Amino acid sequence: MSDQPRPKIVSGAQPEVGHYEEFMSHAAHFLYRAYQECGELAEFDLFGARHVLMASADAQEAVYRATDEQVSAAAPYQYMVPVFGEGIQYGAPLEIERQQVRFMSDSLRPKRMKTYAQVIAQEVEDYIADWGDEGEREFHDTFKELVLRTSTHCLMGPEFRKRLTGEFGHLFEQLEEAISPEAVINFKSETEAFANRDEARARLQEMLMQAVEERLASTDEPPTDMLQSFLDARYKDGEAMPHELIPGMIIWIMFGGFHTSSNTAAWSCLELARHPEYQREVMAEVDSIYGNGEDLSFASLREMPVTEGFVMETLRLHPPLLTLMRQVVNQPFEYRGNTFEVGTNLVISPYVSHRLPEHFPDPETFNPHRPQPDHLFALIPFGGGKRKCVGNAFAFLQVKSILTALLSRYELSLVDPPETYREVMPSLILRPSDPCNLRYTLRNK
Amino acid sequence: MRVIADLDLCQGHGMCEDAAPEVFRVTESADGSYDQVEVLIAKPDAGLRAKVEEAVRFCPNRALSLK
Repeated sequence: MSDQPRPKIVSGAQPEVGHYEEFMSHAAHFLYRAYQECGELAEFDLFGARHVLMASADAQEAVYRATDEQVSAAAPYQYMVPVFGEGIQYGAPLEIERQQVRFMSDSLRPKRMKTYAQVIAQEVEDYIADWGDEGEREFHDTFKELVLRTSTHCLMGPEFRKRLTGEFGHLFEQLEEAISPEAVINFKSETEAFANRDEARARLQEMLMQAVEERLASTDEPPTDMLQSFLDARYKDGEAMPHELIPGMIIWIMFGGFHTSSNTAAWSCLELARHPEYQREVMAEVDSIYGNGEDLSFASLREMPVTEGFVMETLRLHPPLLTLMRQVVNQPFEYRGNTFEVGTNLVISPYVSHRLPEHFPDPETFNPHRPQPDHLFALIPFGGGKRKCVGNAFAFLQVKSILTALLSRYELSLVDPPETYREVMPSLILRPSDPCNLRYTLRNK
Repeated sequence: MRVIADLDLCQGHGMCEDAAPEVFRVTESADGSYDQVEVLIAKPDAGLRAKVEEAVRFCPNRALSLK
């Protein structure tokens, strides 16, 4: 046993709490330090729970290709059950959860994506219609509002979207506050955030259930939206989902796509403003498609390699999700001679992976011309393997639509000194520091 | 030209089938999980090359490759 390789242990653990305090102060910076100190495998401790950061593309691949019977996503994510509800995702047995993710994939098929592209394009154009010739805006909140509009429209249809008020977004914020790193690590403790979460969840259930009942009662041709797709979905035994679970599906898919997409749109605009030379390249591509009499929905669906490369580089440097976790279950998990006992949390960090110098030379430099690495498990803003984010193409569609509409009219620039725009982590999502003020100016074309 | 599908990565999005229905079909999986791609023609002829390349490019999960 003694000559078996073992992960190195990250320095600085404190009695009882382990690395908790440093993790809490800025989890991304802690994980990056862990990798720099220990290399590919870095062991750390949060309140007695053993975690191993898997920080190489091969190690990430080993975890992503492992089966649910070897490494469980459900075990480390049980804190999501009160958010999505019992009977949904990790609050359901594995064989049911697998089918629920298929319902999501089915709701994102090419034919539906074409409809969503039209909906998103119209929302984005309406949203910026009264922005005038120039101005300044806080782009983080701007895109939260816009993505809430586009997402609810695609998910719940035009009727629900028309009635959308500030309440809906506020309820989601309350759900998000209950998944801060602090709340996640101590998720059984009673705090105000949990009481707010449960109240917000109950209110969302009520609002979404009303929409489900209205849809079921309607005699009109149903719109192409995800609500309808979930109502039409069937488990392999031919049964539909119980209707009271549909709100949980909506909350789940919304949760996956709301702050992640709005943050990515905000980061993209910030990087455009920081790099006028790259902004001109993206503009030229936007003009060549959108400016050519094509409509926005067509442009957004089309291949736009320059814009896509720009968004991908934004996702590389600023992946919305800091970590993706799996827990070793059933029997020890082996990787290159290392044995991880049952109960070990395997941590994959897109933030760290995207800074591995063997795949991303000069990693802190924003360079949209960077080639995608050959290794399929190095660039992982959406995770990887069977549990990769099923909405990744939808997310690209949203962000491309926003950038295309904006850049066809406006040029973006920084309002504040460049060093004041920082990367902060008030929750499990990395976001630009508040306020993220940018100036937009009508282009001379 | 040989088409290879990595089923660990496939989530049945169907972009490949949309781009090249002659070569790809998305079918239900036995456990009711994500639908899976089935490669109908492992070695498509040159006439289908452009469509197949499009299918490879459009896969949101990079599950397809050409050798």
